Amino acid sequence: MFQLSPEGLAAVKKELTRYESKDSAIIPALYIAQKENKGWVSDEVIHHLATVMDIPDARINEVFKFYTMFNQKPVGKFHVQVCTNISCALNGSRELAQHICKEMKIGYDQVTEDGRFTISKVECLGSCGTAPMMQVNDAYYENLTPESAMNILRGMK
Amino acid sequence: MPKCTINGKEIEVKEGTTIIEAMYGSGEQKGEWPAGKVAHYCWHPGLSVAGVCRLCMVQIEGNPRLQIACNTVVTEGMKINNTSDAVKDAAKWGLDFHLINHPLDCPICDQAGECGLQDQYMEFGKYNPEMAEKKVKKHKVVDLGPTVVLDSERCILCSRCVRFTEEVSKTNELGIFNRGDRSEIGTFDGKPLDNKYSMNTVDICPVGALTSKDFRFRQRVWYLKDSNTICNGCSTGCNVKVYFNREGFFRVKPVYNEQVNGYWMCDEGRDVYKFANRENRWLKAKKRTSAGWEEMQPGAAAKEAGMVAKSAGANAALVLTGQYTVEEYEAIISNFVNELKSKNVFHWMNMPEKAEDFDGLLLRGDKNPNTKGLLQILQKYGISTKWSDLTAGLASGTIKTVVVAGPEIQVQFPDMKDKIKELSKAQNLIWMQSGKNSDLEALTGNVWLIPMKSYVEKDGTFVNYAGLAQKFKKVTTVISEALTLAEAGDLLVGKMLAIKPEPNVFVEAVRPPDRVVVEHRKKNEFVYRRGTL
Amino acid sequence: METKLLTEFYHLDEFRTLPGYQKQGGYEVLKKALKMQPQQIIDEVKASGLRGRGGAGFPTGMKWGFLPKNNEPRYLLCNADEGEPGTFKDRLMMERAPHQLIEGMIISGYAVGSQKGYIYVRGEYHYPISVLRKAVEEAYAAGLLGKNILGSGINFDLDVYSGAGAYICGEETGMISSLEGLKGQPKLKPPFPAVQGYLRKPTIVNNVETLAAVVPIIKDGAAAYRKFGTEKSAGTKLFSLSGNVVRPGNYEVPLAYPLKDLIYKLGGGMKPGRKLKAVIPGGSSAPVLTAEEAEKVNLDYESIAAAGSMLGSGAVIVIDDSQCMVDMLGVLTHFYHHESCGQCTPCREGTGWLNKIVHSILEGRGRLQDIELLIKVADNMKGRTICALSDAAALPVLSFVTKFRDEFEYFVREGHSKVRGVRNAEMHH
Repeated sequence: MFQLSPEGLAAVKKELTRYESKDSAIIPALYIAQKENKGWVSDEVIHHLATVMDIPDARINEVFKFYTMFNQKPVGKFHVQVCTNISCALNGSRELAQHICKEMKIGYDQVTEDGRFTISKVECLGSCGTAPMMQVNDAYYENLTPESAMNILRGMK
Repeated sequence: MPKCTINGKEIEVKEGTTIIEAMYGSGEQKGEWPAGKVAHYCWHPGLSVAGVCRLCMVQIEGNPRLQIACNTVVTEGMKINNTSDAVKDAAKWGLDFHLINHPLDCPICDQAGECGLQDQYMEFGKYNPEMAEKKVKKHKVVDLGPTVVLDSERCILCSRCVRFTEEVSKTNELGIFNRGDRSEIGTFDGKPLDNKYSMNTVDICPVGALTSKDFRFRQRVWYLKDSNTICNGCSTGCNVKVYFNREGFFRVKPVYNEQVNGYWMCDEGRDVYKFANRENRWLKAKKRTSAGWEEMQPGAAAKEAGMVAKSAGANAALVLTGQYTVEEYEAIISNFVNELKSKNVFHWMNMPEKAEDFDGLLLRGDKNPNTKGLLQILQKYGISTKWSDLTAGLASGTIKTVVVAGPEIQVQFPDMKDKIKELSKAQNLIWMQSGKNSDLEALTGNVWLIPMKSYVEKDGTFVNYAGLAQKFKKVTTVISEALTLAEAGDLLVGKMLAIKPEPNVFVEAVRPPDRVVVEHRKKNEFVYRRGTL
Repeated sequence: METKLLTEFYHLDEFRTLPGYQKQGGYEVLKKALKMQPQQIIDEVKASGLRGRGGAGFPTGMKWGFLPKNNEPRYLLCNADEGEPGTFKDRLMMERAPHQLIEGMIISGYAVGSQKGYIYVRGEYHYPISVLRKAVEEAYAAGLLGKNILGSGINFDLDVYSGAGAYICGEETGMISSLEGLKGQPKLKPPFPAVQGYLRKPTIVNNVETLAAVVPIIKDGAAAYRKFGTEKSAGTKLFSLSGNVVRPGNYEVPLAYPLKDLIYKLGGGMKPGRKLKAVIPGGSSAPVLTAEEAEKVNLDYESIAAAGSMLGSGAVIVIDDSQCMVDMLGVLTHFYHHESCGQCTPCREGTGWLNKIVHSILEGRGRLQDIELLIKVADNMKGRTICALSDAAALPVLSFVTKFRDEFEYFVREGHSKVRGVRNAEMHH
């Protein structure tokens, strides 16, 4: 059964009164819960949040399934998100994403055997001037080439 | 009260009315009504405005863009038009977008015959579809709860059901999950659609996405006739429409009544049709003899029992439940008081401790449609007895003959078994009710069991909790030999039945104005021949 | 030549800290504004001709004027959900000059009578969010935010809210819905946000660049701002140049700057051996321009509108002759299909349909009537929905198919791209 840690619970409670409307705390609470649940949100997490925040399950589930940054399946320790929208595609980002998948011997949105990497294709990340680029967890890695991208990933602990 | 023109017809409406309300309004406005019609799915007069189906587009003079009728408030002098080519084209494409991912389920879909998509397509569609790609696949036959089944592929995401659980039942079980064309209606794991009003979502769903488990696959809607009546489940007296044919009754749907039930009805009321169907009824009267049960015609049995009642005279007792019409009470009580000179009329109230319960929406604790009506008639005849008087009378032997008008909806009488035991202590028991009961059929002694007509087989009046008297007409006859309480009352006191020849012809209910009428449909060979039941 | 009105000190690392910002004259304009009357500030912004820099280009002063003139509490929301493909200027502004935005917001809040503001930043911008949060903390500590700012008696509270990955939250009512804790689905208009917005209260939603531009306008006055640009397109703007150019990046130039100069002079032109083929001038939702059209047009609202496109967010995406237009359209239709919120039917179903048709063509299964069908479907998605995402999805389809029809017909007939000679099947989503 998923339960927030005491710090996580305190953080969620703080969010509940931070905004003008209680429901605004759903997105911050999902981020907190996702971090504590190894990077994804399961049904148990939603149940727990619904109890803690006193908001109907269906409402939290609606918000959860609407946004791209909440993961519905387990992800690797490093979630590699390669932008494949137009400016990056004009600079070969799709070929880059495929190259990474081939090197890691894995398909899109799966987890590598050692649980470290998941590769996803995402939409525009707002870094079109430094295309092609990728986001790994919270950080942007820009101006990539197939070699530099693999070097960065291999160096991740 | 701004005036506006809809398709050339001028009407005057209340301040703040939207265009679609002006078209389908309830007649508070001045002018011809309905003032027009416009295709719509997501708008419902009992719910908030969503504006998501984009089908109700109208052209407003002075505005180059088409506007949606459900969210545009009527202003003075507005000229509205929805018959121009631009509007027709927009409506046709709006419908097309709804259909490109809609599965071709009509042959197996319950909603066929009363489906919003089918109706609109016949009205202004009739085009060649150009979608040549694969349709989006979603979950089918999803168990949403104890009463409703979901088919996500058929769902057009009008969000009526979600708004219903949010605003009317306030239980928040439904939501729309995912984005774009992957969106699906659903409940969250562990919280099914389980509230007392869940089947209203099936009514408001314009397509066959939400279907009732009770009605699923049981009958095609074009084989059903419908008729308006009142629900006899509790003292609210919701206005309903029952659907039936030669085989019996199939389902109940609510009818709008501003004062009583608005647009909705509860799930308990949905089951009332079951008690009127043949399989739950007594077909013949039964008289207990030393050899066992002898079957007779109800009229003959009532006449025979009447001789016993007459000899009891003023010591005869009458037990009434609040499930019969005002006219019937008047008839039988006047017979008892005037002919038999008996004032032993007792009111059998089920669950008196719950009588004042109210769940805030429609359900009331008094599970009888006409308690107030009965009390009114009792008061009129100056009868104020208590049940303890009957118990005392039975114990002492003063009351030897008891006539009982039993409940039609027996499930709401948890004290049925106890009361049968108590009343069977009487020397002569004449029990009259519409539904069969095995405890009664196991009794010994001088017992007459006489079948009554169900309330759908009578004209009458029910008085609801607020004192509102609602008249209803007979829907049809299921068991023609069964007696109404008034007829039984006459026979029991020795009167002859005044036989009024009644033409037993079905009268078609008024066709609602937005039902599509297409000429060639009338000649459809598969429509049941209309005739007598 | 770039005109560094907003971006003058962006090259200084310390500019993002409060001391660094104040060293360059930061918050002096706030002091000046607090001595003015709110209506004076609104009039100054109106006179400057500032237009919304997020994409719609609506005159800012006019938008502020729609607020009710009573004491109802109202909100000032900064739209930092920069999701339009090709746009990355707001990110630069938030990372390098958070205090410029904050100062602009306090002045604007004072002008419209708002005491509470939110900056809604897209969830992927983790670094800009942390920079902004730190800057807000610094401002509170220095008495520049909160109660009784700089002793003026004016209150303004500011908070930073993180989104969670949805392009539709860049639409003003979509953003309001998301901020209210609902799904980020746009609301019906009317009522407009200025009348009934966030939590049904009057709300002003402005883009990051718009609010930051209030600072130089109040500093030097409307007339000085009008020295740049044209009558109808006044001031400077940050343009995000990307795609097949040598020096992509953000460039601040006065409006009506020639697009040709942006690409060839500031942007370094094409890569060796390549020619210009097409330019999308205002983010992926703007109709595409052929190379010929692009080299003739100036970067202002009227000029680009006359050429049949829109200035939009100012994201200039350059496409050279090594790219297949059908392929690029497939990238865009995939994007809109992924990002449609699903509320209203024409957009929800139409984006999916357009995406499927284009990908059928890309997989070699296209039929000739598909090209006409694309145009018909896109035409009927326009102007019939709650928000403009449907139009944004339809316009690229219409412009690509109309202006580069030969590439589409070639692909359908031959089963592979005219430019690359291959189907590129694995490239597609």
